[in-house]
Amino acid sequence: MATPLPNPPPQGGRERTERGAIVDTLKVRDANDVEQAVRAAIASDQPLEIIGHGSKRLIGQPMATNALLDLSALNAVTSYEPNELIITVQAGAPLADVKSLIDSRNQHFAFEPVDTTLLMGTPGGGTVGGMIGAGLAGPRRIQAGGARDHLLGAHAVSGFGDGFKAGGRVVKNVTGYDLCKLLAGSWGTLAVMTEVTLKVMPRPESGRTLVLRGLSDVIANRAMTTALGSPFDVSGAAHIPNSVFRDAGGGLGEFLGDLGSPREAVTLLRLEGITASAAHRAAALAKVLSPFGTAEILEDAASVAIWSSVREVEPFAAKGALGAWPVWRIVCPPACGGALGEALARDTGGDVIYDWGGGLIWAALPPKADAQAALVRPRVDAVGGHAMLLRASDQVRRDVDVFHPPKAGVAALSERVRLGFDPKSILNRGRMSRGSAA
Amino acid sequence: MTIMMPPPDQVVLDRREAIVAALRAIVPGEGVIDSPAEMLPYESDGLMAYRQPPMVVVLPDTTEQVSQILKYCLAQGIKVVPRGSGTSLSGGALPLADAVLLGLGKFKRIREIDFDNRVVVTEPGVTNLAISQAVAHAGFYYAPDPSSQIACSIGGNVAENSGGVHCLKYGMTTNNVLGCEIVLMSGEILRIGGKSAESGGYDLMGIITGSEGLLGVITEVTVRILQRPETARALMVGFAEVEAAGECVARIIGAGIIPGGMEMMDKPAIHAAEAFVHAGYPLDVEALLIIELDGPGVEVDELIRRVEAIAQGCGSTTCQISNSETERNLFWAGRKAAFPAVGRISPDYLCMDGTIPRGALPQALARIRELSKKYDLRVANVFHAGDGNLHPLILYDANQPGEMERAEAFGADILRACVELGGVLTGEHGVGIEKRDLMGEMFSEIDLNQQQRLKCAFDAQGLLNPGKVFPTLHRCAELGRMHVHGGKLAFPEIPRF
Repeated sequence: MATPLPNPPPQGGRERTERGAIVDTLKVRDANDVEQAVRAAIASDQPLEIIGHGSKRLIGQPMATNALLDLSALNAVTSYEPNELIITVQAGAPLADVKSLIDSRNQHFAFEPVDTTLLMGTPGGGTVGGMIGAGLAGPRRIQAGGARDHLLGAHAVSGFGDGFKAGGRVVKNVTGYDLCKLLAGSWGTLAVMTEVTLKVMPRPESGRTLVLRGLSDVIANRAMTTALGSPFDVSGAAHIPNSVFRDAGGGLGEFLGDLGSPREAVTLLRLEGITASAAHRAAALAKVLSPFGTAEILEDAASVAIWSSVREVEPFAAKGALGAWPVWRIVCPPACGGALGEALARDTGGDVIYDWGGGLIWAALPPKADAQAALVRPRVDAVGGHAMLLRASDQVRRDVDVFHPPKAGVAALSERVRLGFDPKSILNRGRMSRGSAA
Repeated sequence: MTIMMPPPDQVVLDRREAIVAALRAIVPGEGVIDSPAEMLPYESDGLMAYRQPPMVVVLPDTTEQVSQILKYCLAQGIKVVPRGSGTSLSGGALPLADAVLLGLGKFKRIREIDFDNRVVVTEPGVTNLAISQAVAHAGFYYAPDPSSQIACSIGGNVAENSGGVHCLKYGMTTNNVLGCEIVLMSGEILRIGGKSAESGGYDLMGIITGSEGLLGVITEVTVRILQRPETARALMVGFAEVEAAGECVARIIGAGIIPGGMEMMDKPAIHAAEAFVHAGYPLDVEALLIIELDGPGVEVDELIRRVEAIAQGCGSTTCQISNSETERNLFWAGRKAAFPAVGRISPDYLCMDGTIPRGALPQALARIRELSKKYDLRVANVFHAGDGNLHPLILYDANQPGEMERAEAFGADILRACVELGGVLTGEHGVGIEKRDLMGEMFSEIDLNQQQRLKCAFDAQGLLNPGKVFPTLHRCAELGRMHVHGGKLAFPEIPRF
């Protein structure tokens, strides 16, 4: 069922950026336009900033670009085949529209893409291309994988100005190198995706969330480890320390605000599936977790709402009480999370929220010239994790490595890989590495 | 041999003795094999129609040795073919006459089991099944389960991005591997990823997985382990028409049910399997589905009911439901033994591995039937029906002149049909040499050039496993050159710059 939307006429224009500079914009109509634009950019050495809705423009190293390649007009759904569990859409398709389309067939993107609107305070819900380029997966990553696990195929234009195809339109495919894995999470620095094929999955019929109260970060981490080591197929494991409820205060939405009203830490464990199964597993897991306290059980709508707050990092919302603080996204071995996060919060006076059973820490830390990078990075290195400075002022992002600097060998290999896609650094120049911003 | 391999480098062959001596200096004792008789087991992998003795076999047992071997080979311009257990069905580990065959069989140790982080850190020569066995006492297992799991190594699984009957629900190797230690052709040792859910920066683990030994030599792997589901039960459903079985598969998925495994066999495969293992398969059906549901008992019972109703709605003629582990294993026994079962009824067989959209199953089967007539060769079909992965087994006799060539042409036509129907050349066995020359059916030259530029980032001299995956070899300098369109770089009609 193809529902192509009419293409608007080609538009060029000028626009004022967040940083106040005036830049050229090029609104492309099709993949051919993208090829032409990239080739022209190569010829004139004009690096391009690639945008859809611009919802994630404030994420990454400030770029050395002075022209915009706007993909928002590439917004058609090419095909949607629910029985094949795939959907093919143009990269500029609005994520919200695509989500509601697949929702109408009781399907979803199982990796729960993170909508950063609340966290970044930027307008626009984002596009499918942006979702893949950022590769930010929500709570269900522990069970269903990330964006990289759901991108089956793509058409893209490389920094050579060549349109190429990666992957295919079936779920099982090992033909050639899996270039899709590289495109997911590459923040537009390798190629401009013009069309993507994504895996969709049946939406769970029902959900239950166990709520444990009053646990310290380290004990909560242990409770989550126990839950994830059980056979009950936990699809979300998060912990919100009590200080978050105190510091974020009235900025919290209805569900999270209510949940934290006694201002106690809450540990959340989600079970999804057919109703009988979710209910059975919730009860069984509550029994296994009884040494950690008595669990309350939230059902369906309340369960869905609470995970939306966790996924979108609501306590650290840009418009909330902690909106002025820089926010780190730290990924680490899950069993290390509690100790790492507790120490970070204690030593900086900041706040942390745990997802992925401790494997993902969102940290809002009091402002400092380096956003506390000198403290955060060595500690994260020590446990074999990585820390991305997701939210910070323009100036701080200029001075600090936004993405965790890899070890020399991996950094050099990554750079060779990038140059294999974009030898002239035309695409989102400098977004992922301070070194390549020149 | 109908596939051309890169011509041997006579300069390298002339220096064989010196090369063997240099390798012995790196790997002392019995780790270097150069006598023709002892090299015999290495001259082929699971694609046994192709054989080629290597120049020399080296079996290091430390990462440092691997690094020194590769460094030496790079300096001397010597090709290297990595090998795990040698079970590849696409010729990924086929030796080259002028290459060092680098076997990882001595990397047999599981280095760490970390239940809290739900990972196992293992050397690449450990078998797939041994990982599950090592964690079984705590209720864990490693999910991807290729049929060769008793023998195939985890390093080979990473190289091939192996699947198995349960990957419909639990994913392929790429969805279950978190990190590795890899040695590049330069000898540089890198750690990619680790125990975290994802690594920062580009997803290098994602690109290494399934790279068929062309990017580096893996010396350690970190895999995710899962708790075994509480219970699993299987249905065995027969249909009088293949189309009805295909429809049943589509409706199950359409109803939002993702079974642990969903396999289909056609009549010749059913008969061969039944004659071999006596699993009680119905012999009067055209297609048999084995559908496994796993999870808590309450969920499995409910889903069994739903699937049974769907099957009836699609006109199933027989339906058995397992009531014990013994019975469930019996249902699977025939499917898991399908390849050897077919081996009993034909001197040789060729196993194909295309993937198609599920909905195209009946069309694909009809095409295979036509081609079977055209080439006058029998075919038995087994499929991972849930994910549209076909394994047609083409029966032939290599002793009959011309029959192998006919079987290969038949196989190539099946794969072309898969691509035409919207699918791909290989679902889980890899390209290797087997499908190398068909890559153009699926990818344009530009697509393939982009893939080969990635190879250049890892192995600029093209010394690791050359002649596999890509139909043509390019120099990296040539691939890195900016394309010039029509004599000059094109300008867009929209004059913004």
